[in-house]
Amino acid sequence: MDPKFLAELERVVGAGGIVRNDAELLTYESDGLAKLRSKPGVAVLPRSVVEVQRVLRLCHATGVPFVARGQGTGLSGGAMPHPDGVLIVMTRMNRILEIDIPNQRITVEPGVMNLEVTNAVSSDGYYYAPDPSSQVICSIGGNFAENSGGAHCLKYGFTVHHVLGVEVVLADGELIHVGGQALDAPGLDLLGVLVGSEGTLAVATKVTLRLLRKPAAVKTLLAAFDSTEAAGEAVSGIIGAGIIPAAVEMMDRTIIEAAEAAVHPNFPDAEAILLVELDGAEAEVTSLFTSVEQVCRQADAREIQVARTDEQRARFWKGRKAAFAAMGRVSPNYYVQDGVIPRTKLPEVLARIRALEVESGLKIGNVFHAGDGNLHPLVCYDDRIEGQASLAQRVASEILTFCLDVGGSITGEHGVGADKADQMPKMFTDVDLDTMQLVRCAFDPNHLCNPGKVFPTPRLCGEVPGPYREHPAERAGLAERF
Amino acid sequence: MAVVVSTEALLAEAALHSGAGTVRVAVAADTIDGVRPRLVATPTSQKGLAATLAWATAERLQVLVRGGGTKLTWGAPVGRVDVLLSTTALASVVKHRHGDLTATVEAGATLAQVNAVLAAHRQWLPLDGPWPEQATVGGIIATNDSGPRRYRHGAPRDLIIGVTLARSDGQLAKAGGIVVKNVAGYDLSRLLTGSFGCLGVIVSATFKLAPVAPASRTVVVDVESLDALFPLIDQLQGSGLTPSALELEFPPARLLVRFESVEDAVVQQADEAVRLASAWGCARAAAGDAERDLWTRHARLWEESATLVKLSTLPTELLPTLTRLENLAVASELRVAVAGRAGLGVVVVKLEGAVEAQARCITALRAGLPIGRGSAVISRGAPDLRQRIDPWGPIGDGFRVMQAVKQRFDPNRTINPGRGPGGL
Repeated sequence: MDPKFLAELERVVGAGGIVRNDAELLTYESDGLAKLRSKPGVAVLPRSVVEVQRVLRLCHATGVPFVARGQGTGLSGGAMPHPDGVLIVMTRMNRILEIDIPNQRITVEPGVMNLEVTNAVSSDGYYYAPDPSSQVICSIGGNFAENSGGAHCLKYGFTVHHVLGVEVVLADGELIHVGGQALDAPGLDLLGVLVGSEGTLAVATKVTLRLLRKPAAVKTLLAAFDSTEAAGEAVSGIIGAGIIPAAVEMMDRTIIEAAEAAVHPNFPDAEAILLVELDGAEAEVTSLFTSVEQVCRQADAREIQVARTDEQRARFWKGRKAAFAAMGRVSPNYYVQDGVIPRTKLPEVLARIRALEVESGLKIGNVFHAGDGNLHPLVCYDDRIEGQASLAQRVASEILTFCLDVGGSITGEHGVGADKADQMPKMFTDVDLDTMQLVRCAFDPNHLCNPGKVFPTPRLCGEVPGPYREHPAERAGLAERF
Repeated sequence: MAVVVSTEALLAEAALHSGAGTVRVAVAADTIDGVRPRLVATPTSQKGLAATLAWATAERLQVLVRGGGTKLTWGAPVGRVDVLLSTTALASVVKHRHGDLTATVEAGATLAQVNAVLAAHRQWLPLDGPWPEQATVGGIIATNDSGPRRYRHGAPRDLIIGVTLARSDGQLAKAGGIVVKNVAGYDLSRLLTGSFGCLGVIVSATFKLAPVAPASRTVVVDVESLDALFPLIDQLQGSGLTPSALELEFPPARLLVRFESVEDAVVQQADEAVRLASAWGCARAAAGDAERDLWTRHARLWEESATLVKLSTLPTELLPTLTRLENLAVASELRVAVAGRAGLGVVVVKLEGAVEAQARCITALRAGLPIGRGSAVISRGAPDLRQRIDPWGPIGDGFRVMQAVKQRFDPNRTINPGRGPGGL
């Protein structure tokens, strides 16, 4: 990179806030999707919004692209650096700025971890609802960018339902505030489009979140089934009975065995396990829990365990949340997919995945948020065997096709990133994608903000809208405006 | 300006795009805010609607989109209207996927029509804003309007999962999908929600639904003054009870706390709420017809023609703000009534009195509401009030991006020009 540009950057963030050394930059070459790698031109670690603004102004002035990154736990390559760009690592902006219990709000910098938010307010009886499995190590900035979900979003929604306001720096270095502490700030819902924009519109520097009161009662059961179909039937039965549990998670045999080996949750031996959690007022939970048990029995659950204590519940969840990591014990490599299907299509899609497993010879573990139809098939492979990595990639891509065939989505919570940008045309028409990019052009007409992500081909934004400016051709007398 | 001059010529041309028999010359009954449109187009297909927009954009005409017409006098007064574009012929419930708790509906369907269909499977689109018999889904999305049960279910922006819109250039585009969890691409559904139709015409949308609760109780708490209501609200919110609505009414000061769940749970929760509330005022639980009457009465604010202001603050700042409002109203000789989401800090304020005094009162109210910590937006008011002061109030430093978004979506300012937030 241009030494003058690097010197300017260093002046902004200080010698301790810039990483230029090739070996050190390797740390940042990928996010949680390690197969996509690219070493950044340079990395900076700003400590304040003013530093972020100054970095972006420099980029804007020189046309250098930039990518913001939190903890790098994303699974779609959304934070994969640009080889000729600046990687802005937000981890040093990690302060909790304001806790407002009476109004159930908290304002944090983007580098604060997801679980830290809950920990900060837990003693007051509150928590932050979105709970991705990586919540111990993923940051709020990344959650904001990806619209992260988690196991409890069936009832409580996603990040977009829990972010009230945000301060962001635009690609030209200008600071704007969207939403706020109060609801219904007048204006277009830019917040709704910023959440989940995968860092392609702006860089978040301060986020106000909604806190929820811990429920008075929580009850969790674990039901074991002889087939994933039976477990799927139980899910439909629960929803069909008008019950919206806080969470409904499903694991198949491959995942159960892996979790058992890794963290010993003492799961029963079964083809499928359903983890159902109800929360709310005591009387409601008690009454509905009985219905859920009935539905599971009717769907031929061979065993039902009810968590009697908080420790037991924690054990159930530990088994579920460790599933991804546990697969590392079963397979040297695996590819996590993140498709979504209408919940009622579960049996059909699972059958197709099983057929694909047989056909490809690659083991596929299934762990998913069954309540909202978000599948996480883990395609196992061995990188040392030639051709397996690309086979796994093809299998994973095929699973997405199954999801789209039944009206689903290519991503429920991991994002499109760099990984699935080329899949977007399978889900959206050119016009759809073009329309989305009108938003991009409004925020970042020069495409400096995390370029190459989400969209397979960038839209040309054309003339920057605004007050009339004379075109060079007009000035030269070569053209006139009508 | 439009090239076509005579209304007859315009009519003939419009019909070529919107579809034969779908366009007529506007009559006096079509007048909005004293403005009579030239034509009324009611396309019967999404393509016809889109083609009408493309034509209007090419001809530099101005289009006002109309669903049930219940909120056309919200926000900024309308300017010139060449084509009043009605969505009412696009009114089908496209699909109710009851097993998935989702439904796709066309924009022109009324909320009541939609919920009548969904009721077959004991589900509903959990929005309970005013005029369900007339208000269309498109208009409800465009205004992000909701009612008491927003406390549990959220506003339209929390429920919408997919949208199809007609762009000003006549292209039909979609975003989101039919699954509740989906982060593929930008969330245009939310961008359009609350946009007052200024970016494109919503032609259909997909929502996540809720099961209809088998039982309901509402606890009514009558207290001496607003001062006594807020400690009670705090106590209820910290109690572990899970009401579906937590509404205040004033004057006289009253709190409505609704519980919806299975019978055992609503009885137990209502009993507990009555017990808590009895320390603050007179509390009783209502069910059946008595309960229904309570909620009908609660919504009566909307039935009168007075000015309505949506006031939003931090929940803890609602009481001081309402106290300030009362003082301002007394000083300006205005009559004030309030109803709304006490638990969320969003209420509707009814103002009656001289327009000049109303304008002063709203301006003074806004002065105490820093951007991001509160707002006072005129939902409905006489045109001269909405001309005298900006219906939206200050929007803040994000407005330049909003302007850029409008410019990208509708560069000729064809669709609802000036109607969007801040006059977009």
